[in-house]
Amino acid sequence: MYKYITRRLVRALITLIVFQTILFMLIQALPRDYASLVRISPAHRDAIRAMLGLDQPVWKQYLKWIGRFLGGDLGFSFAYRTVPVSRILTTRAPRTLLLFLPAALGGFALGLWLGKHIAWRRGSWLELGATLVGTASYTSFAPWLAFMMINVFALSLGWAPPENVVNPNVWIRQRVLPETVIIRLFQTMVMVGLLLLLLWLVTRTAVAHCTYARLAGGGLIIGVVILLWLRSGWIRLALDILHHMVLPLMTLMLLSFGETMLLMRTTMVDVLGSDHVLTARAKGIPDGAIRDRHVARLALLPVLTHFIVHLPFVIIGSFVVEMVFSWRGMGQALFDAADMYDLPVLMGILSVSGVVILFAHLVLDVLNAWLDPRVRDEHFQAMAG
Amino acid sequence: MNHDNDMPLSGYHGKDLHCTQVSHIYCKRPLLAWRRDWSLFISNPVGLLGLGLIVIFALMGLTHSILLSTVWDRTTYHPMVGFDYDNTPHPNQPSWKHPLGTDSMGRDVLSQLLYSSRTSFGVGLTASIVATILATAVGVLSVYYGGKVDTLFMVVADAFVLMPPQVVLLVVGLLIDMDWLRLGLVYGVFAGLGTLALIAKSHALSIRVKPYIQAARVAGGGDWHIIRTHFLPNMLSLIIMNMMFTVTGSVLIEALLSFFGRTRIRMSWGTMIWFTQSIFRLSPFGEQWHVILPPAFAIMLFCGAFYMVGRALDSVVNPRLAQR
Repeated sequence: MYKYITRRLVRALITLIVFQTILFMLIQALPRDYASLVRISPAHRDAIRAMLGLDQPVWKQYLKWIGRFLGGDLGFSFAYRTVPVSRILTTRAPRTLLLFLPAALGGFALGLWLGKHIAWRRGSWLELGATLVGTASYTSFAPWLAFMMINVFALSLGWAPPENVVNPNVWIRQRVLPETVIIRLFQTMVMVGLLLLLLWLVTRTAVAHCTYARLAGGGLIIGVVILLWLRSGWIRLALDILHHMVLPLMTLMLLSFGETMLLMRTTMVDVLGSDHVLTARAKGIPDGAIRDRHVARLALLPVLTHFIVHLPFVIIGSFVVEMVFSWRGMGQALFDAADMYDLPVLMGILSVSGVVILFAHLVLDVLNAWLDPRVRDEHFQAMAG
Repeated sequence: MNHDNDMPLSGYHGKDLHCTQVSHIYCKRPLLAWRRDWSLFISNPVGLLGLGLIVIFALMGLTHSILLSTVWDRTTYHPMVGFDYDNTPHPNQPSWKHPLGTDSMGRDVLSQLLYSSRTSFGVGLTASIVATILATAVGVLSVYYGGKVDTLFMVVADAFVLMPPQVVLLVVGLLIDMDWLRLGLVYGVFAGLGTLALIAKSHALSIRVKPYIQAARVAGGGDWHIIRTHFLPNMLSLIIMNMMFTVTGSVLIEALLSFFGRTRIRMSWGTMIWFTQSIFRLSPFGEQWHVILPPAFAIMLFCGAFYMVGRALDSVVNPRLAQR
């Protein structure tokens, strides 16, 4: 197992270097550099080039680029001189994460649940309808869906605000920045998620009546969190942010659940034909238990793999939705950087997304190897390949 | 075919078979597989629906050029520079003259809608053809030759997986205004060398261990012959399936970039929505429905059609799904 992980890590490092090389080639292939963007005299242009290090030979720039990246340094922004790219990204990240994480997980959970039940009740009409709904969710045009949500729920019904992160009238004379509350909200969300996961793991093995224990524990955790927020005095501010989050969150979930649902259905149908399901039926295990324990659990891993591989698609969706709802996060940073031809920031966004994808793949591979010994055995691989 | 070793093989099912007959059977097999795949595909209503929609969109593109050269007057109905001088002020609500009304610049919406299906086909087909050729070449070559070729291709593919075409296009496309051909090419290269190459390789791996490959090699088939007659036909369904998903992805990202006004494409469904929303953002929806709804549904149906064909092919490629 350790040998497998080591091998995988070495491969990941090589992949990263090749990845950065391709990115560097991409930058070199661009028709303009930052200095040729503005109309200034050639002398000024050369001075700017020298300042940004664009006048050096290509191989020197390349070595510097790779060395800096491996050291975890993404360089300085061209547009905001002296501000490191990493700081621009980290100041924008909490807002995006606060929106993106619950949307991605919520969409995934909704898709799993719907797909499970549709696969279980197979009938041609339900199946066809589910396929159409799932396809519509997957292929609907993100900005358009956002407009529809704004028009229906914000402008016509007035249930939620149409844009922005906060309402200035609530925040006037408050001695706290929205950023602080957003980070606190994000921390709370992660903590609650981890606690609920822990609760689920503990009750699964240790407690007999696990449904009641889970309900009680979950209620306790959420109650304590609400109490802590009430005591902090920021509850109105937090509620304001959450209120502004409703529409983008719903839009993102609508965009992302369809694919998971369709895939879960297909994989469930695939598993349903295997022999152990028949055995479970013959033993007289109740339908719900067969569905959840014998079929859905086996179908989960391929669906999770697909979800992680397609995560970039959801990230794109969240950038676009952010733009339409004026939720100033990473998406806004991306568009600003593109407007100002701020290459380090753009490449920083690409690099970070690449590293996140690589990390996800790494975790997935190790998880697969842990669950399935055939993957990590070189001998078996040689036989299969 | 090599007729020199045309000697009887005895003892096969008690009959005498000739080598030419054996190779005849093995050459026929891919064709049979293709025919079986096709009959499986048309038994699925979802796939047929998608196929029908694709045909309708293709007809839409054709109809536009026919209408513009016969019935429609060019100055009024041209999708980019047309203007209706009779019914000002614009935008107009739908009428007999303009079945979907006109946009705020006085152009006929139906004409734009029909014309834009060509742009989408252009982007989608370019991307999918480039991606398919690259992915198939990388997959088959790295499996067939193995060794250093395999290692090189897989290192590159691993790196390209970290750069999904959608993300790259969103970043690069914001910097450079691209026309539909370049957009399709960039999407095709980044999709084809990355995830799709890995998928094609894993499928080619499962074909390499099949007995008919060894039979073909024993019978003296050359590299190119084996790749052409055995690998490619057997991978055809998978290749077409991934082509469909590539079309979906590339058309969606094209619409997004057009929507943000960052392409050199003069007319597409994304551009139509962009024109309208840039003027009417946050205005009551009722006045502009005829400009915003048709292109949005067109994008959805176009991508959905290719997606559904892909999903239907999925059940063909994966034989365990097709049995039930």
